[in-house]
Amino acid sequence: MTDGRNDTMRVARGPRAKRTVALTGADAFLGRNLIGLLEDDDRVGRIVAFDVKNPPSAGRKTRFYKVDLTQPSVDARIAEVLAAEDVDTFLHLAFLSSPTHASAWAHELESVGTMHVLNACRERPVRKFVMWSQTILYGAAPSNPNFLSESHPLKGQSESRFLNDKIEAEQVVARFARQMPGTVVTVLRVAPILGPTVDNYLTHYLGRRLVPTLMGFDPLMQFTHEVDALAAFKLAVMRDAPGVFNIASEGVLPLATVIKLAGRMTLPIAHPLAYPLARALWAAQLSEAPWMFLDYLRWVCVADTELAQRELKWRPAFTTREAVLDHGGAQSLRDAHLMRASSHL
Amino acid sequence: MARRVLGDDPFADGAPDGAPTDDKAKADAPKKRSVPPKPRKSVPPTAPRKSKAPPPTADEPVARVAPPPAPLPVIEAPTSSEAPSPVDEAVEESVGAADLPPEAPASDERAVLTDAPRAADREESLEDTIRALEARLDKLLEGSREQAQPILDRVSDKLRAVASAPAARGDGAAEARDEGAQYDVAKDLFGSQYYLRQWGRVAMRDRSEEVDEFGFDPSYEARWRPLFDFLYERWWRVDVEGIENVPAEGRVALVANHSGAVPYDGIMLAAAMRREHPTARPLRWLAEDFVSHLPFMGAYLTRLGAVRACQENAERLLRKESCVAMFPEGVKGISKLFGDRYKLQRFGRGGHIKLAIRTRTPLVPVAIVGAEETHPLIAPSGVVARMLGVPFVPITPTFPLLGAAGLVPLPSKWRIVFGEAMPMNAYGPDAADDEVLVGRLNEKLRGTIQDMLDRALRQRRSVFTG
Repeated sequence: MTDGRNDTMRVARGPRAKRTVALTGADAFLGRNLIGLLEDDDRVGRIVAFDVKNPPSAGRKTRFYKVDLTQPSVDARIAEVLAAEDVDTFLHLAFLSSPTHASAWAHELESVGTMHVLNACRERPVRKFVMWSQTILYGAAPSNPNFLSESHPLKGQSESRFLNDKIEAEQVVARFARQMPGTVVTVLRVAPILGPTVDNYLTHYLGRRLVPTLMGFDPLMQFTHEVDALAAFKLAVMRDAPGVFNIASEGVLPLATVIKLAGRMTLPIAHPLAYPLARALWAAQLSEAPWMFLDYLRWVCVADTELAQRELKWRPAFTTREAVLDHGGAQSLRDAHLMRASSHL
Repeated sequence: MARRVLGDDPFADGAPDGAPTDDKAKADAPKKRSVPPKPRKSVPPTAPRKSKAPPPTADEPVARVAPPPAPLPVIEAPTSSEAPSPVDEAVEESVGAADLPPEAPASDERAVLTDAPRAADREESLEDTIRALEARLDKLLEGSREQAQPILDRVSDKLRAVASAPAARGDGAAEARDEGAQYDVAKDLFGSQYYLRQWGRVAMRDRSEEVDEFGFDPSYEARWRPLFDFLYERWWRVDVEGIENVPAEGRVALVANHSGAVPYDGIMLAAAMRREHPTARPLRWLAEDFVSHLPFMGAYLTRLGAVRACQENAERLLRKESCVAMFPEGVKGISKLFGDRYKLQRFGRGGHIKLAIRTRTPLVPVAIVGAEETHPLIAPSGVVARMLGVPFVPITPTFPLLGAAGLVPLPSKWRIVFGEAMPMNAYGPDAADDEVLVGRLNEKLRGTIQDMLDRALRQRRSVFTG
């Protein structure tokens, strides 16, 4: 981050103990990159990484603890580590970035796992708690205004465990924030992340040669460039801004344009056919996302990031269009590599 | 920074004895001496200069993929004996080192210090482009390289297999060279920027890549503009009266009657503002839910500048000082039968008044005459409409009788009258909650528009000629 140096100047004014940051989901996209970023930041003295696997970006400052959030006694273990390492900032990032068929496990990890994490933070209070949430939790609905504010209810999609688990997690975090006034609780609702290196259901969707869409529907889409997302988390670690914030790159694009910019072709399907088809494909485990995600191809689900810009002082450095182009550029480079390789096999 | 390293080599060529003539080289020279020599990726002094002819070795692709370009501190650490250098420097190294020619003054130190077994004689300018691109991506996101690493690893494995294949076959040197030649052609193609540009062009062909935050697409609108101009000038021969009542700047809401089964009135109102208003103000009009939810219709109207009618959207537009058209009658306005033409329906629940009070927006009453006759509704369509999931189906004298041709609107003569603006800044912010006041203002506005309609209708002699 370019502003890292400026910030160190500011910190240099008053001598302050270096932060100890703990994070769950350390080996996932956000966790791994944040560890890399925090390793470079002088204001962070120690990084405590919780995951089932050691993140490859771990450096000198990182101490890894193998912790499985689906295990029943995990809260005591986390609290122990929090006390031993004297953690002051907790980043809860252990959420799935793509839907899974293992919904029972996902429920244990996201909903129950959040409960364990919060119990640990009750037992051994931290100064700050930052949680990753997503704007898709608002749900795509015909009644959505074009820009959803943070006060809009999280409706999710009917029958979607993937979304409901995350909504439950947000609810327990909101309760935690009320019970623990001494803890700064920041929830970042991030729009779907896109960029050169991220890998999730969205990149898989845009990675197809023919990208299915719903005939006659072309909703406005909003993405977060991966750098913008990471910058927001880093900012939330460095600044105290309690509350819920929508995070997304600037601007919107119609779905058809997104697909075109990604260098793909659309495959329009009539919506009365598409829903049963998607249901069958999901049941047969042949699709990336469950059938209710078709709603996101039909209705608008775009968040208003004004609050984050005002209170968190976070500014998106990228636009949705740039996120798509960056993703598409990296993707076509990968395609070129693959094509070059496969043409000589 | 990468450019600086790249830029070194002409100077090194011209002045191998360390007597640079250029400013930039001067600036660089002392830096080089003061900084302890960094173990660059090995560049043996005997290596041939960057040559256009690729070396005929078959294992060359391995070398291309093998050097880890990742600027990760983790990966970079072992190559450096000093303290871990900043990421920027790592990028510079990964880009610059590969194509750095052996410079006379520096090469000795390098030759001593280089211990990496990397073969630098396979460097090629073709690779610079790809590597520079990769380095740029790396720079975009410090340390998130791992995601792409498995893919690159897979590619490098495959390339390794490719590279070893001809050697293993050993069918003769001639064929091996042929293979090599073929390979170089393909590499040329992918190495050049041509394909990236070409693919980019295909992707951009439609040029509709920028929309505003509500999805208005200027290029799309420009494509349809000739049709709207034709409808405006020739088909409906729109007359406009009192358009100067719309202020030239600042937020303003046009409140109009809604009519005509197919909502052309929004589009024509926007055309009138664009063509007749002194400052050609762009107009955003609020479309009923059902219109924005219809397949195709919703997507197209959104690109043309319609916005789904709801408080949040309208407020956002007004706070950005735009000119917004509202049709408070909503569906009831466009679905009324021909017998009820020009009778204003209920003006919603006064949401537009509350909004105007809250945002202190002046309201300009607008009467649109002529739109009722474009698609005269002759029968209610309850059951069919419910089956299709829409509020009504336009049953007109021509539709569905004549099929799709029946959807051509009748060429009635239109007249759009803009009344005097109703300022709303006399009321405090609490007035928006005063239901009685809102109701009064709503009725007053509705009465104004009805009077304007009646007056225009009295002046009209014929539906089709005005």
